[in-house]
Amino acid sequence: MLQLEQVCKRFVHKRVADGISLQLQAGEVLALLGPSGCGKSSLLKMIAGLEQPDSGRLLFAGEDLAAVPVEARRFALMFQDFALFPHLDVLGNVCFGLIERGLSRVAARQQARDCLQQLGLAGMEARRVWTLSGGEQQRVALARALVPRPRLLLLDEPFSSLDADLRRQLQQEFRQQLRAAGMPAILVTHDREEAFALADRVAVLRDGHIVQCATPAQLLAAPATPWLARFIGYENVLEEGVVPEHALRLGPDQPAAEVRRIIQLADGVRVCVVSAAGELTLTLSAREVRQYAAGLAVGSLLHVGIDRAAMLRYATG
Amino acid sequence: MARKMSWLPTGHLPRVLMIEGSRKLGLALLPLAFLLLMSVLPLLRLLQEGQGSISPDLLRDPYLQWRIFWSLLQAATSCVAALLIGLPIAWCLARYRFPSRSLTLRLLMLPFVMPTLVAAMGVLALFGPHGLLGINLQDTPWLLLYGNLFFNLPLVIRAACEGLAQIPASRLAAARTLGATPWRVFWRVEWPAVRPWLWSALCLVFLYCFSGFGLALLLGGQRYATVEVEIYQLVAYELNLADAGALAMLMLLLTGAMAALYAWLERRLAAPLKVDPQPPRRPQGREWLQLLTALGMLLLFAGLPLLAVLWRAGQAWAVSGLSLLQDEDVRLALGNTACFSLLALLLAAVLGWLHALAARGGLWLRALAFLPFVVSPVCVAFGLLLLYPQWSASLWLLLASYALLAYPFVARSLAGALDSLPVHWPQAARSLGARPWRVFYRVEWPLLRPAFRRGLAFAAATALGEFAVTLFLSRPEWLTLTTLIYQRLGRPGADNAGSAMLLSCLLMLLALLAFLIIEWPSAAQAAERREP
Repeated sequence: MLQLEQVCKRFVHKRVADGISLQLQAGEVLALLGPSGCGKSSLLKMIAGLEQPDSGRLLFAGEDLAAVPVEARRFALMFQDFALFPHLDVLGNVCFGLIERGLSRVAARQQARDCLQQLGLAGMEARRVWTLSGGEQQRVALARALVPRPRLLLLDEPFSSLDADLRRQLQQEFRQQLRAAGMPAILVTHDREEAFALADRVAVLRDGHIVQCATPAQLLAAPATPWLARFIGYENVLEEGVVPEHALRLGPDQPAAEVRRIIQLADGVRVCVVSAAGELTLTLSAREVRQYAAGLAVGSLLHVGIDRAAMLRYATG
Repeated sequence: MARKMSWLPTGHLPRVLMIEGSRKLGLALLPLAFLLLMSVLPLLRLLQEGQGSISPDLLRDPYLQWRIFWSLLQAATSCVAALLIGLPIAWCLARYRFPSRSLTLRLLMLPFVMPTLVAAMGVLALFGPHGLLGINLQDTPWLLLYGNLFFNLPLVIRAACEGLAQIPASRLAAARTLGATPWRVFWRVEWPAVRPWLWSALCLVFLYCFSGFGLALLLGGQRYATVEVEIYQLVAYELNLADAGALAMLMLLLTGAMAALYAWLERRLAAPLKVDPQPPRRPQGREWLQLLTALGMLLLFAGLPLLAVLWRAGQAWAVSGLSLLQDEDVRLALGNTACFSLLALLLAAVLGWLHALAARGGLWLRALAFLPFVVSPVCVAFGLLLLYPQWSASLWLLLASYALLAYPFVARSLAGALDSLPVHWPQAARSLGARPWRVFYRVEWPLLRPAFRRGLAFAAATALGEFAVTLFLSRPEWLTLTTLIYQRLGRPGADNAGSAMLLSCLLMLLALLAFLIIEWPSAAQAAERREP
């Protein structure tokens, strides 16, 4: 549905998009994942039409978007700070897009009420937006974005201003609602857990280009580069491949490695060792500590080996 | 006392400047007594004078009816014009990026320090008899309205820019993605957000225009002068204190109501949160035309009169050089202006510090610092004459009135800076071994100095350009630059006109100096600006 072809954009002192090409299928949720400053928010703004690319093309359902202004694209954008209008109440906020699309006020109100009901916000129509909790604001923002039935939903870090528990709960709800609406969506985030939990595919961005674009399972099974492997959470990243926790072997028949650091955890320890292959970090359960590492101390020796067959190789291409 | 004051947010005050309730009242004593003696009592005296003589007959007089009606009408018209012209200009300044944008935004401060007399001379040079533009608008209402816009358009523009800067970029983008065109975004998102800022600015505009004196005296002519001018003429020429008192009371009631409305509106303004405002962008295509039109309008209303003064003064200089300024009166006026301003500044500095320190955390004291801004100088001067007839020849009365008009600038500027001083810095200094007075000397004073300098510069500009009170209390030996210009303007002959223009130009340059001191970026601001 949405297609990006060789999109480039640079600001005075940095390149935020360097030949980005992407495709989004109908009903698909794509996450743009990357560290801050990688260009993911700029890319989202270009898709929304708030910024123009220097070169390259954006197409939606075959139509070139270059000449289509923001308001005519019918892509809803949801913001990190939710951007609710403080001079309107909850109902006024949810109605906003419908009225701009030319609906009568009565019809707009009715649709907005139905949508609020579905999202569990019935009875909140007349509330001022600054009296809402973070989670309620997030839902109102979602209702406002969904109710004009946009062709594409764009989400800019929509959960990052919520606390951890609420975030997990809302992410689950959110996933279901997107599925039910069958609406394609692009999610910008710097949080890999969020990207993996919500998206069908994840595009990892760095310095204005896509390092890898694949399903979460593919990303985890075969990251494209050592940088990406570290970014998505792997700790033991070697030149030849990634050593996941299950590829580490303990026991007296393994080569000895010197312990560098020990970090006590609630249910075990994390140990950094220097082995022949390089520095490795591993998490030992209390049982493993007793079994393999009695008298563990900085400077002592731990027998650790790598099962090469279980190592993850970098994806090519 | 300390317990009673416990609702005050003293918790966040720096230690050394944190002042106990009783000591706070002690600090406030001098400014409070000063305000009482110099503005509250004179105004009460004026009310008393007016009450004795107000009668329905006075208000039935068609001449006075017209004066009052016109005063209200010109103020209302100025408000509407300032809104209609100012809002589009403000929108362009806030949303478009163009070369010298930040300079333009800074220049908007200029009218705040410009003496009314300079502006009036500029307007006359443009549209007066033998005006530079070849259109004589003397004895029409347009001169006064144009002069009003010179002073008040920037006020509205600044307020609107501030309001627009309080709208987060994400809110505007959200409206666009929900299907609103740029015009609809303005109507449905920006306008409701800017409105409170505009209303409070327009309230001030109305207040200033309604109780303005200098502009109306010089530009209004016979027919289009305002009530303030009428009061002055009744007192100075007809010695009709009774009618003047009745009119002054009317003025006080109306301006008092307006000032109360302003204070109420101002309090409703949302506390500015940290927001990411929409960054200005380069205009494209037709937008350049919008921007150029806006800048052209700004130049026409806020820049042209000053350029006209400069041009006319240059002409006078070319014809007769500085000989026009070499006489006894000019020397006396220059000496007096310098001396009065300096002494008034000293008073203002002391009163300003005391008031700012006392007003920390206290709303009502802070509001009181606003009083001298809203009372009309003519009414105060008249009240002073009535209240202290025995001191009407005392220079101290004049200096005290200067200080009354000037010191709130110092107080407000310092109070703002004190508020924004993070509590951790003095605490850090204390924990590093500095005694309280060393904390003040090494941490707080350097941080407060820019605000103090700004406040003083505003106060200096006020003292330099003071006209209403000086004219009211004037004595030949108290001749200042402003009263001298007014004298010269009233006399026939090209020489007098030329020297009035040269003196106005001099006054303008002095005000520009004050402006430079105010707007000169401090080292910290300059460093901040260099960051991308």
